[in-house]
Amino acid sequence: MAPWLSSGLVYASGLALTAGSVTLLYIVTRTFNFAVASMATIGFYTVYTGVTLFGGLPYQYYPFAFIVGSITGFICYYGLNRPLLRRQAIETTLMMSTLGYDLILLSMIQMYADFLTHTYKIFPRRVTMSLFDFELFGDRAAAFILPVIAIGFLTILHIFLTKTKFGVAMRATIENPILAGASGINSDRVYLVSWIIGGGMAALGGSFMAMAMTGTPVMGMYTIPLMFAGAILGGLGSIYGGILGGLVIGLTEYAGVFLLSQQFGPWVLGYRMGIPLFIMAATLLVFPRGLSGIPLLKIIKNFAEQKRGARA
Amino acid sequence: MLTVSNLSSGYGKLKVLYDLSIDVPEKELTVVVGPNGAGKTTLLCSIMNIANVFSGEILLQDSSIKGIPTHNLAQKGISYVPQMGNVFAELTVMDNLHMAGYMLSKSEAKDKAEQMTEIFPVLKKFIHRLAGTLSGGERRMLAIAMGLMKNPKLMLLDELSTDLAPIIAERVMMEVARMRDELGITILMVEQMAKRALEIGDTAYLLVSGEVKYSGDASALLHEPELCSMYLGIKHSSDKGKEFELSVMDEGSEDN
Repeated sequence: MAPWLSSGLVYASGLALTAGSVTLLYIVTRTFNFAVASMATIGFYTVYTGVTLFGGLPYQYYPFAFIVGSITGFICYYGLNRPLLRRQAIETTLMMSTLGYDLILLSMIQMYADFLTHTYKIFPRRVTMSLFDFELFGDRAAAFILPVIAIGFLTILHIFLTKTKFGVAMRATIENPILAGASGINSDRVYLVSWIIGGGMAALGGSFMAMAMTGTPVMGMYTIPLMFAGAILGGLGSIYGGILGGLVIGLTEYAGVFLLSQQFGPWVLGYRMGIPLFIMAATLLVFPRGLSGIPLLKIIKNFAEQKRGARA
Repeated sequence: MLTVSNLSSGYGKLKVLYDLSIDVPEKELTVVVGPNGAGKTTLLCSIMNIANVFSGEILLQDSSIKGIPTHNLAQKGISYVPQMGNVFAELTVMDNLHMAGYMLSKSEAKDKAEQMTEIFPVLKKFIHRLAGTLSGGERRMLAIAMGLMKNPKLMLLDELSTDLAPIIAERVMMEVARMRDELGITILMVEQMAKRALEIGDTAYLLVSGEVKYSGDASALLHEPELCSMYLGIKHSSDKGKEFELSVMDEGSEDN
């Protein structure tokens, strides 16, 4: 596998999860969750702590990353989002409250990094997580394992949302909270579960992304524009759209950097973030409702009809 | 069954209802009519704890339900069918029915959903279709079926005939009357199609600018020419000494 593709797949898998997290929390609670940045970093540090202190492979600590992320989501909902939603806070207030929460989490991450340095004499401020990886089919294992984990997670999420009573209730609440309440669905519980899943997805995504980039206490802050770009590219109306948006943003960043650096030289690397943002802007100009607004079925149907017509 | 006394409510700080009192007797169809902006929907939203209640009391079978979260009111046997957004458009008809029976056990919900498709055969045909693809009349039938899924003691129906063709609206009204007569459900219905609602209703309240202007027998309101023409758009044409003839100035619109 080409290096840009293997790294791109790892990175894009993580970005897809974080963008999905941003979208999920936006469509359920109208909140643009800026804390996704630190939640992602927390996911990375959970896995890092596991491999450095207890040994083993990063993959075995991903469930812990999800759990720790879920706890941060739980705290954010009960501590901030729920009281503000009850006071009918506007979207800007909800958004700014998560920015405040992100800064608190960022401070705690910095303190935790210092704690690791002073207590265990390890250096967690610039970490190359791929060093803990192993080789598979002549390439880094993460390039195969992480997309599979991401697809597995999304399959479980899809089954949860479409086949379980609570999952369908979540979709019902997302679509029409008043009717859902009148049907006996406790929207408070739906919001809480969304934050738990959203926090877990962000942390899992962050721990994936750290396998392709340098893990630092500010890695979430550095990549948050791309997490939001993925969610916006997805159209902000569908979790699946957000996930697809994140995947496209992640892959185009790596593919774009590779192609442009071959053409113009390595100085292009400094502008790598501009490539996916340009792709996002161009896509939105053509499809203002994002990827989830593209009438894919209609396009496929038209294409099939045209082909049939050409054959006839 | 339901007693609302001295209710003042609205949205945010805006007051819509002023010191309003109504009584909904058991197994009867109580109709609330009035011009646009009278506060009819706000009344139902206040009962369901969707609007802000500033003062007053709401009693269901003599116990207060004021301030109880909306999802708990459904558990108390109140079923609310809103005017707009009364089905989950992105879910199938079957999922809509199951969500409406969210508090029921899996087997109960399944049985009840089957029962609903027998009462409303049109739903059986579209059981796996997305509710958003149904016509206006079909959607309204689904909304009523969803209301019935909860085995309600009390149904709150908000302008069921809105946007329906007169013939479909008539069918919906007949279903409402059937729910009272055959299933013995207590109904509080807010309706724009005033003439037909008053014909099938038992008790009526005329609401104007958040206040009750008339309360009493539903059909008797039809014989109040001044109130009917001023607030309900029902024109009375009378020949000297003859009985009133009622005609509706504007009733219903196209089915969507």
